[in-house]
Amino acid sequence: MQLLKKLKKASPGWFLLTVGIIILLLIPNLNIIINLFGEAGENWEHVRNYLLVNYFQNSLILVLATGLLAAFLGAGLAWVIAAYNFPGRDFLSWGLILPLAIPPYIGAYVYQGMFSYTGPLQTFLRNKFQLRLSQQYFDFMNIRGAIFIYTIFLFPYVFLMTRAFLSKQSASLLESSRLLGKSDNTIFFKIILPLSRGAVVAGSSLVMMEVLNDYGVVKYFGISTFTTAIFKSWFGMGDLPTSVRLAVMAMLVIFVVLFIEKLLRGGRKYSYSTSNIRPVSRRKLEGSRKVLAQLFTYGVFFFGFLLPTVQLLYWSFLSRGGGLMETLHFAFTSFLTGGGAAVLILTGAVIIATTARMSSNFVSNLLARITILGYSIPGAVIAVGVLLFMQTGFGIEANVVLSSTLVMLIFAYAVRFMGIAFNSVNSGYEKIGESYFEASRTLGKGVTETFFKIDLPMLKPALMSGFLLVFIEIMKELPLTMILRPFNFDTLATKAFEYASDEMIYRAADLSLVLIFFSAAAIYLITHHRRRKK
Amino acid sequence: MKKLIIVTIIISIFVGLGTAAAAAEEVNLYTNRHYDTDEEILNRFTEETGIEVNVLKGDSDQLIERIAREGKNSPADVLITADAGRLHRAKERDILQSVSTETLNQNVPANLRDEDNYWYGLTIRGRVIVYSKDRVDPEDLAGYGDLTSDQWQDKIVVRSSENIYNQSLLASLVSIYGEEWAEEWAAGVVDNMARKPQGNDRAQATAVAAGEGDLAIMNTYYLGKMINSDNPAEVEVAENVGIHFPDGENGTHINVSGAGVVKNAPNKDNAVKLLEYLSSASAQKFFASANYEYPVNPEVEASELLQSWGDFETQNINLTELGIHNQTAVRIFNRVGWQ
Repeated sequence: MQLLKKLKKASPGWFLLTVGIIILLLIPNLNIIINLFGEAGENWEHVRNYLLVNYFQNSLILVLATGLLAAFLGAGLAWVIAAYNFPGRDFLSWGLILPLAIPPYIGAYVYQGMFSYTGPLQTFLRNKFQLRLSQQYFDFMNIRGAIFIYTIFLFPYVFLMTRAFLSKQSASLLESSRLLGKSDNTIFFKIILPLSRGAVVAGSSLVMMEVLNDYGVVKYFGISTFTTAIFKSWFGMGDLPTSVRLAVMAMLVIFVVLFIEKLLRGGRKYSYSTSNIRPVSRRKLEGSRKVLAQLFTYGVFFFGFLLPTVQLLYWSFLSRGGGLMETLHFAFTSFLTGGGAAVLILTGAVIIATTARMSSNFVSNLLARITILGYSIPGAVIAVGVLLFMQTGFGIEANVVLSSTLVMLIFAYAVRFMGIAFNSVNSGYEKIGESYFEASRTLGKGVTETFFKIDLPMLKPALMSGFLLVFIEIMKELPLTMILRPFNFDTLATKAFEYASDEMIYRAADLSLVLIFFSAAAIYLITHHRRRKK
Repeated sequence: MKKLIIVTIIISIFVGLGTAAAAAEEVNLYTNRHYDTDEEILNRFTEETGIEVNVLKGDSDQLIERIAREGKNSPADVLITADAGRLHRAKERDILQSVSTETLNQNVPANLRDEDNYWYGLTIRGRVIVYSKDRVDPEDLAGYGDLTSDQWQDKIVVRSSENIYNQSLLASLVSIYGEEWAEEWAAGVVDNMARKPQGNDRAQATAVAAGEGDLAIMNTYYLGKMINSDNPAEVEVAENVGIHFPDGENGTHINVSGAGVVKNAPNKDNAVKLLEYLSSASAQKFFASANYEYPVNPEVEASELLQSWGDFETQNINLTELGIHNQTAVRIFNRVGWQ
C-alpha cells in the first residue's frame, strides 16, 4: 500500500508544469481582486445610493427565476427522455441540447424581431386580418422576456447533467419502484427528483453563472443588472474599483442562492451510486400520454431551436445572403481560433488533471476550484485583468508583440474556459479508475510513459467532448473577443453582434446561422461519439 | 498526439502571421464604426497615399479603456468614436494629443472640434423629435423644453439613460440652461413617458407607429436606415412618422462621430493624413452618407434624403460641453429615475 502511494506521487516535471499554468491562470484574476482593497472609487457612493437596490433586485430575480425554471424544465425533460420510449425520442435525446448552440443574445434579437411591430407575426396579422393588437401583448423587452430567453437557451445544462445521471444510476431503483406498483408521477417526485438533486443543482448553477455574466441580452432589453453596472461604471465612468466591487457583489448573489439550497437540503444526503451501471429499460408510451410527452419535448425543441433558426433563415433570405465570401472568411477565423485555442486549453487541462489525480484530495479539490474561478468572473473583468497582466507582466519589447497578436486573446480564453476543460478531463479520469494506472506503475513504467501509453488513449472520449465544449464556448464568446482581439480580426460572434447592435439584424442572420451550425455540429459529435462508445 | 502537434504548429504559424504583418507605411485605427462603406473609404485612402490601414473595431468605451491600459506601448494611432462625449472622455483619460493643421481647421468648423484640437468631428447627427403623422400636429411641437408639458402626458417614448446619446442630450441642456433646469426637465420627461425606457432608437420610432406613444426622441440617421430597410414593415413605420427639429430659444441638439490622434501614436504623420483625408470634401460625402449623417465639411452638401427633411438651427454650443457635463447628466438621470 505504501509502495503504491509512492508510485502514485506526481513526478516533479508534471507538478512544476501544473504550478506554472495555475500561476498564469491566477495572475489576471489577482490583478482584479487587488482592486477590491483599494479606495472606493468616486462613483461608488452615487452607485450605492441610487442604483444598487435596482441592480440587486433585477439580478436576483433573473438568476433565481431562470435557475428554477431551467431546473424544472431540464429535469422534467431528462426524466421523459430517460424513462420513456416514444416516436422521436432518439432524435430529441440530443436535439434538446441544440438550444445551447444559439447564444442567448442572438436568441433575444430573434425573438424580439419576431414579435415586434415590424416583425413577421404582427405584420401578418395586420396585413391579412387587419388586426392591430395592443403592443403590451407583444412586449418582450422586459424581465419576463429575459427570463424566457435565458431559460429556453440555457436549460440544456441541467438537461445534460440530469440525463447523464439518470441513465447511469437509476435503472435498478426505477425498476424496483415500478415492480412495487408506484405510479410514474410518484416515482418522479418521490424518487427521481430528490435523487438527481445534485445533478440538477450543478446544472442550474452553471445556468445561473451564465445569466449573471451575460451582457448581450440585458443590454438589449434595457434591464439594469450587475453586469450592465460593471460595464457602466468601468467603461462609462472609468471607475475600476467601483466595477470590481460590483463584480464581487454579483458573485455573492450566486453564493447566496447556492447556500440557501444547501440550507434547504439540510443534513440530508441524496447521493446514490451503484456500480451496477446499465441503461434504464424505457417504458413505451401509448395514447394520450404519448401525445403529451411529444408535445412537451417537441414544444421545447421548437421554441429553443427550430423557430429561431427558421426565422434566421428567413432573414438571411430577405438580405439575399449579402456577402457570402465575407461570411466564409469570418467562419474560417472563428473555426481556426476556436479549434486552436481549444487544443491549447485541453492540453493545459490534461496536465493539471493528471497532476490532480496523483495528488491528495485537498490539492486536487483546490486545483478544481482555481480552474473554475475564471468561469465565474464576468468576461469583461477578465479581459482587463489579462490586458493589465500582458502590459506590465513582460518586458517592453514583448508586450507590443503580444498585444497585437492572438496570444493575448487565447490566453484570456484559457483563463476563462480552463475549468470546463478540466472538468471534462477529470470526469474522464474518474471513469477510467485507477487500476490500469496502478498496474502500469507496478510494472515499473514511469508516470509520463504511463500517461502516454495507458491514460491518453483511454481519455480520448473525454478529451473529445472537452474539446468540443470549449470550442462551442469560444465560438459564442463575446466580451473577451471584443476587448482583446488584434487588428483586423473578426469572429462570427463579434460580427453578428456588431450588425445586430447596429440594428442590422438581417445582416447578422447569415453569420448567426453559420455560428449555430458549427455549435450544433459540435453538439452532434459529442452526443454521437458517446453513443457509439456504448 | 501527432494531430495535437500539427494543430499547435498551425496555430503558431497563424499567430506568427499576425506579427509579421507589420509592413512599411501604415496607420492603426481603433474605431467603433462598422459600416461596410468605411472599408471602401479606407481602401481609397490606401490607394491615394500608399498607407495601409489596420483596423480594430470595438465598443467606444472599451477601445478607450484598452488604449489607456496599453499605455505607452499602444499601437493605436487614430481613435474614431460616435459621440463627442466619448471623445472628450478620451481626452480626459489623457490618451489623445492635440494636432492642428490648416487643412483640418478649414474642413471642420470650430464648434464641431475640441477647443484644444484634441479631436475633430467628422459626421453630424441630430437628436430630434419623431412624431406620429396620424395623431400629432407638428405645429404643437416646439423645443425640448416643451416635452415636459401636460399635453404629452403618457405620450413620450425614449430609450434608456445608459445610452450615450441621451446623456449627451441632457449634457447639452445642462450647458445651456444649468443643472437645475436640466434636472426638472428630465423629471418632467420621465413623468410623460408612455412606457419604461427600453429598446434602441429604432424601437422608439416603431413604438410611435404602433401607437404606444406619440412622440419619440431619437437620432436622425436611424430613420434613414429604416427608410432603406430590407424589411417592408420597417419602411412602412418610417413613412408613418414625421421628423421635427426642435426649435424655440435654442435649436436642435447635434452630436458628431469624430476622431483624434492617440497620444503615443507610433505613426503620427500618417494619423494626421488620415484625419485630413476623412474630413476632405472628396471623402466626406461618402463617409457621412454611409450612415445617413450630415457632413461636417461646410463645402459638402448633405444627401438628398437628408435635405428633404429640411434645414434646421443647431444648439449654439461647442461640443466639448457635452463631455464636460456628461457626469452631471448621468447623475441627474439616476436621481430622477430615468432607467
